[in-house]
Amino acid sequence: MIEYDSEDQRMILKFVYYGPALSGKTTNLLRLHDLLAKEGRGDLMVLDTKDDRTIFFDLLPFFLVAPSGLKIKVKVYTVPGQVQHDATRKAVLQRADGVAFIADSRRSEAKNNAESFGNLERNLSIVGIGIDKLPLVLQYNKRDLPDILPEEEIRRTWGATGFPVVLSSALEGWGVVETFRALAERAYDALDRRYDFTGTHGLTRGSFSERLVRRAG
Amino acid sequence: MPTDSEGRRRIVYCVGEEHALRDILPEAEAAALLSAASRAGLRGVRVVDPGGKALWGSGDDVPPPGEGDPRRPILLEGEAAGSVVLPAGAAGGETQDALLALLADALTAMAHNNLKRMLVTETHTEVVNRSYEELLETNRSLSASEQRYRELAGTLEIKVRERTEELSRAMARLVQQEKMASVGQLAAGVAHEINNPLAFVTSNLRTLKKYTERFLDIIARYQRVFEQGGVAQQDRDDLRKHRVSLRLDAISEDAGDLLRQTLEGTERVRKIVSDLKGFSHVDEEGEAPADMNREIDRTLSVMRHEIPAGVGIVREFSPLPVIPCRPGAFNQLFLGLVRNALQARQEGLRLTLRTGVSGDRIRIAFADNGPGVPADLRTRIFEPFFTTRDVGKGKGLGLTVAYDIVTAHGGTIEVEDTPGGGATFVLQLPIRRGSHDQIR
Repeated sequence: MIEYDSEDQRMILKFVYYGPALSGKTTNLLRLHDLLAKEGRGDLMVLDTKDDRTIFFDLLPFFLVAPSGLKIKVKVYTVPGQVQHDATRKAVLQRADGVAFIADSRRSEAKNNAESFGNLERNLSIVGIGIDKLPLVLQYNKRDLPDILPEEEIRRTWGATGFPVVLSSALEGWGVVETFRALAERAYDALDRRYDFTGTHGLTRGSFSERLVRRAG
Repeated sequence: MPTDSEGRRRIVYCVGEEHALRDILPEAEAAALLSAASRAGLRGVRVVDPGGKALWGSGDDVPPPGEGDPRRPILLEGEAAGSVVLPAGAAGGETQDALLALLADALTAMAHNNLKRMLVTETHTEVVNRSYEELLETNRSLSASEQRYRELAGTLEIKVRERTEELSRAMARLVQQEKMASVGQLAAGVAHEINNPLAFVTSNLRTLKKYTERFLDIIARYQRVFEQGGVAQQDRDDLRKHRVSLRLDAISEDAGDLLRQTLEGTERVRKIVSDLKGFSHVDEEGEAPADMNREIDRTLSVMRHEIPAGVGIVREFSPLPVIPCRPGAFNQLFLGLVRNALQARQEGLRLTLRTGVSGDRIRIAFADNGPGVPADLRTRIFEPFFTTRDVGKGKGLGLTVAYDIVTAHGGTIEVEDTPGGGATFVLQLPIRRGSHDQIR
């Protein structure tokens, strides 16, 4: 959590889209920007890129107000996937309330996915977040491409971990909102335990998810 | 607080901190826009924070903003971080509204770009600082390991020298052991060979001792008879009877045979000892002139008992010039080569020893019809401790000793194929050597 001011009734949360280079993290945010209602979100801020690759991060903010009047801002960030930008990844990951790990479904990318996930585990421990307590959602992206891992194999690999797995094609625009919703719900559970969203703020899991993830049009 | 792998506390820059409009938009940048807007007709326009507190304004002679005044939000990360406000009662109208919207959009764009620049700068600074810290850390550990290696390098040379000396001493001991073992095997065979004649010489001498007692006995009787003066018939009968009882006729005949056999036995022992002396050159200090043909024969003669029946040893010798060398060492070498051939093939071994002169060198070839030496092992077999025999069956030093003897003499030793199968060891020895080839 970035900030919580109980007097001001203001809470700033942070979601991070993590994953190997070119797995579609920025594309996920672009699609969320297009697919979700303008009223509940700000504009996508894309910091300087190099050859269209993220070198800093992207930011898409969302807003909602709980029945109690608590104003919640959810800042959704991407990290740069390229190996050399590790210091930036740590700075973005710092104080995250939830992580969506965007994997590339192609068989050829299995090794990069694994290395990036290992990097996530290591960086979480460096910034002091326990992976077992962190709301984490996996997205297997690029389902529109040939030679991808079959769903069955993915479910077998991750089944035991209990992390929700969403299949998607960010390029075609499907699976993206579902990933965001799954992440929001996991994050809600963790926050509700700690800040009693339901009792103190009248904010149920369903209403949190509904207010945060509003389809456009 | 997060810690790194070595438990040091480390503050990590956190992306996402909230910023107030005042931090993002410096007054100097906003003031120019506000004053231009004021001149364009937005008299008294001000910027207020979300709490309604005035931040900046275009003039002092207007009342502070209040609720309900015409206003437009300045957005930061999609939220109103402040507003541009016209004083209550300011002239309305489309132009005013448009101008106010234009001003708000301009300030929003300005804030947005400033925020982006700030985030980039902050992240960049964090990355640079982190890289610098990591470099310092790397530098520290590299310096430490450099120091360690420096110390190691200092002592390493001494250690290597000590270990090398130790190794060469051990190697010398092993080579000596190898030589002794080869001599020991020879000694065992020779002892066996000497034992045979010695056994029957001893047995003959024992018999002769008994014979001698009888001869002395009869001589004593004759002496008594003569001293009593005269040889009576009875005395003669007595003496004859005694001679018969002592079987002197038979043993007189036997004594001659025994003595002849005994002398043959001692001659055999003498010959063996002489061969051994010839083989070992035990009386010679350092170099002596030697005929290699003769030395090979000497070696063969001391090895006679080691060579089983059925082994064919063929000598194809050509006359050789006499060369100064350490013949004892060469004999040991020849012994080793013959033994190698004997080990290479049990049944039907045929070993041809060929000598001759080739240019300014003596050429000696030991050709066997054993299994031969594979091409890839031909240089390795002379290396110390290289052996194809089972563990415990050979130290791998025999050919190393041979190699050392030949090279010390300024010669070469190589192995080739015997035509028709087998190995041929070829020695080439210079007939005349330069002074630098002095034997070690």
